[in-house]
Amino acid sequence: MAESSGTTLMDLISADPTPVPAQSTSSSASSTASQPTSASASSSSHLHHPMSTKTTLGEKKSKRATLMQIQNDTISVAKAALNPVKANIMPQRQRQKKKPVSYSQLARSIHELAATLDQKSSQKQLVNHVFPKLAVYNSVDPSLAPSLLMLNQQCEDRNVLRYVYYYLARILSDTGMTPGGGIPTPNWDALADIDAGGGVTRADVVPRIVNQLTNEATNSEFEFHARRLQALKALTYSPSGNSELLSKLYEIVFGILEKVGDVPHKRKKGVFGTKGGDKESIMRSNLQYAAMSALRRLPLDPGNPLFLHRAAQGVFFADPVAVRHSLEILSELATRDPYTVAMTLEKLASPTGALQDILHMNDVLARVSLARLCHSISRARALDERPDIRSQFNSILYQLLLDPSERVCYEAILCILGKHDNTERHEMDERAAGWYRLTREILKLPEAPSLSSKDKSNKTKRPQPLIKLVMRRLESSFRSFSRPVLHAAARVVQEMGKSRAAAFAMGLQDIDESVHVNAFSDALDDAETNESSHPEGIRRTSSISAGPGRSDTIASLLAALMEVVRTTVACECVYVRAMVIKALIWMQSPDESLDELKSIIASELSDPGWPAALVNDVLLTLHARFKATPDMAVILLEIARIFATKVPGKIDADVLQLLWKTCLVGAGPDGKHTALEAVTIVLDLPPPQPGSMAGLTSIDRVSASDPKSALALQKLVQAAVWFLGENANYAASEYAWESATPPGTALMMLDADKMVAAASSRNPTLAGALTRLQRCAFSGSWEVRIVAIQALTTIAIRSGEPFRLQIYEFLYTLAEGGVQSQLSEMHLSNGEDQGASGTGLGVLITPMLKVLDEMYVGQDELIKDIRHHDNANKEWKDEELKKLYENHERLLDFVSMFCFIPRAKYLPLGPISAKLIDTYRTKHNITASTGSTDPAVVATGISDLIYESTQPAPAASNSSGLDDDLVNAWAANLGDDGLLGNNAPAMSRVNEFIAGVGTDAPDVEEENVFSRPSVGYDDMWAKTLLETSELEEEDARSGSSSPDSAGSVESSISSHFGGMNYPSLFSSKPSSQATAKSGGSKYQSTYEGYGSPIREEPPPPYSYSEPQSRESFENPVAGSGSRSYESDDEEPRKSTGTRFGTALYDFTAGGDDELNLTAEEELEIEYEVDGWFYVKKKRPGRDGKMAGLVPVLYVNQS
Amino acid sequence: MILAVLFANSVGNVLIERFNGVPAEERLHWRSFLVKLGADNLKGVKNEELLVACHKSVYIVYTMLGDVSIFLVGKDEYDELALAETIYIITAAVKDVCGKPPTERVFLDKYGRICLCLDEIVWNGLLENTDKDRIKRLIRLKPPSEV
Repeated sequence: MAESSGTTLMDLISADPTPVPAQSTSSSASSTASQPTSASASSSSHLHHPMSTKTTLGEKKSKRATLMQIQNDTISVAKAALNPVKANIMPQRQRQKKKPVSYSQLARSIHELAATLDQKSSQKQLVNHVFPKLAVYNSVDPSLAPSLLMLNQQCEDRNVLRYVYYYLARILSDTGMTPGGGIPTPNWDALADIDAGGGVTRADVVPRIVNQLTNEATNSEFEFHARRLQALKALTYSPSGNSELLSKLYEIVFGILEKVGDVPHKRKKGVFGTKGGDKESIMRSNLQYAAMSALRRLPLDPGNPLFLHRAAQGVFFADPVAVRHSLEILSELATRDPYTVAMTLEKLASPTGALQDILHMNDVLARVSLARLCHSISRARALDERPDIRSQFNSILYQLLLDPSERVCYEAILCILGKHDNTERHEMDERAAGWYRLTREILKLPEAPSLSSKDKSNKTKRPQPLIKLVMRRLESSFRSFSRPVLHAAARVVQEMGKSRAAAFAMGLQDIDESVHVNAFSDALDDAETNESSHPEGIRRTSSISAGPGRSDTIASLLAALMEVVRTTVACECVYVRAMVIKALIWMQSPDESLDELKSIIASELSDPGWPAALVNDVLLTLHARFKATPDMAVILLEIARIFATKVPGKIDADVLQLLWKTCLVGAGPDGKHTALEAVTIVLDLPPPQPGSMAGLTSIDRVSASDPKSALALQKLVQAAVWFLGENANYAASEYAWESATPPGTALMMLDADKMVAAASSRNPTLAGALTRLQRCAFSGSWEVRIVAIQALTTIAIRSGEPFRLQIYEFLYTLAEGGVQSQLSEMHLSNGEDQGASGTGLGVLITPMLKVLDEMYVGQDELIKDIRHHDNANKEWKDEELKKLYENHERLLDFVSMFCFIPRAKYLPLGPISAKLIDTYRTKHNITASTGSTDPAVVATGISDLIYESTQPAPAASNSSGLDDDLVNAWAANLGDDGLLGNNAPAMSRVNEFIAGVGTDAPDVEEENVFSRPSVGYDDMWAKTLLETSELEEEDARSGSSSPDSAGSVESSISSHFGGMNYPSLFSSKPSSQATAKSGGSKYQSTYEGYGSPIREEPPPPYSYSEPQSRESFENPVAGSGSRSYESDDEEPRKSTGTRFGTALYDFTAGGDDELNLTAEEELEIEYEVDGWFYVKKKRPGRDGKMAGLVPVLYVNQS
Repeated sequence: MILAVLFANSVGNVLIERFNGVPAEERLHWRSFLVKLGADNLKGVKNEELLVACHKSVYIVYTMLGDVSIFLVGKDEYDELALAETIYIITAAVKDVCGKPPTERVFLDKYGRICLCLDEIVWNGLLENTDKDRIKRLIRLKPPSEV
């Protein structure tokens, strides 16, 4: 399938005409043969006009007869014959119809035309028709190699030879797995294996090609010079796995360099291509270029001193491309063995050496490689003993800051800043030292400049601080109109921000950005002394309080630069703006104002032109910034909130939640509360107004105007609610296993007002989290309410008093709401009440309440037993302790079903049971896993989370920049993921982003299909290969569904709670009846105290038949819950086809995908999804919607 | 390393593509991404005006030349500025071969020669020749005495 080219390449292939009739062929052959063999003006003019003839084997006889006749004609007769034939060609061409040419036809043409090479028409046919069309395909058939080799040996036409070298190189480089590009062709080796008799494989032809090209590469004749260059170039395409071939290539290249490499001052005499140069110097320069280019493609040989010597020779060559390749090789060698390279280049780095001349060469990439080379050598620890060499290379590197090309200047800046080869090696000290060097060191021009550099030294007479040169250059670059320059300048600022953040994180004591920059100009002698005494890393520079000249400081220079950077947001290229935002994120200081950056980001994200991959790149930048500067955790969460509220449909939810988690852990004890607030503030924002454009650029308003964004926003809200429940205890430092509430406190806190006041005074963070979660349990969509209930249960289990009791009362009131609503007269009189029924939530709440009931019953029994033993003054018997311990373990098992807790430390029976349980464990030698004895770790409970976690902590991904406590906390929370599972994909994505690895293209949001049928394409193998790869890609693209989806949450909840049905212990205990009664009255006051009445629909009608005893309040909820389970089991879970039903109760939609219902409304049930029906109405409701999701329990199926 | 060189026409059909160091399964992604990138941004762009894009540490520079759009994808030392230099050389060479800013028909007529020029400019993912006169001499295999 010719997917990549469409019809246009087919047009190219169709340019070949069909064979003309025999009569025309004879006429064309006659005219061709009549031309004289020597080059003349007439013949050269004809060569440029493509002849539309095609030679076949059958035409050979007529050619011979024509040749015999023409021998007797005169030149004048031949000239006269040309004119009428030329006139006749035009009508013939117009009549020819275009027909596509397949690959097999092209291959056949090459074989035939190679066999008739002596004919001029064959050469023209090859050059003008066959070879260009063959270039369309992405690989070359090895069976063409014999014909190509024959053409190489026999043909003298340079045009044909150039194509021959081109295709021989492609045969050599074609490994069958990764073709170069073009229309796909089948695997030739596979085809040759099937066609066992006549097939030709690459293994057959590669040695012959290599042998012939090797002979040509060593031919030093003058006429063969141009072909020698091409042969040497084609040889570099050879497969690199062959060591024998590699050694031969090294031998050829070293031999050439030995001959032409010993003319050190050749560059100044002549330049390549100058007319005045003599032939010998031109040939030598060409050979230098060809040899260095070939050496660049050969594998690096670090241990070979001859290799290093030949590479260093290239620095002296006249050809700029050869010098560039030489410097590239040397810079790669310098990263592995800097000492040897420095010794080799020692003389060249002096002020009169060859490296100074390269500063004025016109090849930009050569100077880029020179910057990298100087950086590698000047930073090497092996050269600590030779500060003079290091200072020389440093001097060259600093001079490159004055280079007129932005590419070279930026490379020099990045080298000084400590960035190397785009690989993040977690070398914080290297980057910190880079920032220190940039802000402290001074550029000194060499004392003996060459003639050409005198002009520059006149401009910069006095030494300049590096920071001023860099700032001036960057500011001028940001005024450029070239988008690559703007993008690169913003990237340099980003790298400056990274180095600056590393310097702050390393805590360099000398960083004082308010010091005058000019003060260092007068400290030249001190700087030199410091440089010699402290050659590596951090140096202390004496600062002079009063400096001459302008009062510039590093802070003022940075402020001026950032002002210029911010104006670049006006660029129309979205990628430039994204890079500017990344630079602003990296340059943000913890103590600076954040409002401007937030408003810029909010304005930018409102632009629909931002692709999703770019938005996620900026989000990943926040991760990278956190890894570099953990102190900015809260600030980064503030920025991430803008992403969550502005573009919920585009961001990667996994990466965002990982950012929440890592920043919460990294915020430290002081910042936990603020971090949790920053994450969950989205729950307090007003819902998005459809069609409203007023809030597009506002930070505090959610923007979700399209259905996809609205759905993504809802999922983000669910994730935020879940995050709040999962991490509220950590943020508040409140754990049940560490609180020491006295036994009698719970009873005294039965008053709701006192309980709320006690909770707020004790832990405001947790109290605020509970308030927010309770509000989510009332409002929001159905999924959000489910997640909120589960989050409250998690907090209740993990927290001590009074939070647990507060949550218990709230859940109880929520579950009881239906009965209350049934009994109240307000419901009967108010027909407009459309509050969501608590019956659905009651199904979820009942098992949660059972666990809390069991814990409270156990605590009451324990208190009673303790009082009994104290009164009787008796010791605990072993069987009593055993019973107590078994109850403890049973409750632990119950609690572990809901959320993770450290079993070794958790006390479901209350803190007073610790002593007794420890006594039992000691007596029976029960080994409980104990946590770390470190007080700081025990205080937060992190050590137990680490040890009890069933998932291995991803310790390998920890950054060396974080301290151990942060690393442990991070790993603990990663292992603590319950519903979301492990965040391994997000983690790998973050690490990929920081390391800068991977060449995968971003996914295209709209699928562009370019598959068009190829008319003349008759190779079925390529189609099979393409179809297979397409299927694989489709499988990879499908991936797994989001863990935040409502379906997965529903499945998890149902799997947890589906089989649990606990009897009510309260109702069966006559001794606790009085407690239940008083508790009931308290529940009523709590219900009224919340201020918002629970408008719950009554439970299903069959529950009315049971007589309700007013004495026990728990019984109706348990009973209705139990029957609800039975009715759920009876109903069919999955439905096929369309059915009809009736709405049992009124239902208010909680989200955009839900549908409002009115009781007794007729519905058409489409399908069922995890407890929801997708139904259609007969008539549209008040909101105008016709279809949507409703709970299964609300529909009566007919 | 220069990962990809891609020529496409105005309707998004790829005319020439050369990949270096890119696995086969990622080429389809790159091809569709680059064509979509051009379709989104190249409308109304002047001739030879450079546009830039970035994804992770991979840089893309693209432009319009007549009716043909040129995309360059680079990594490591070939950042957006080095790619800008490279695309300038490629546009100069293509204009030299076609004689004028190319239409699609002229581009396809000179297809073979453009492939040879591209082979001289980008060699195994590295930028090779930067002088269009030298490129012309190397393509024609001219002897060193001729200028």
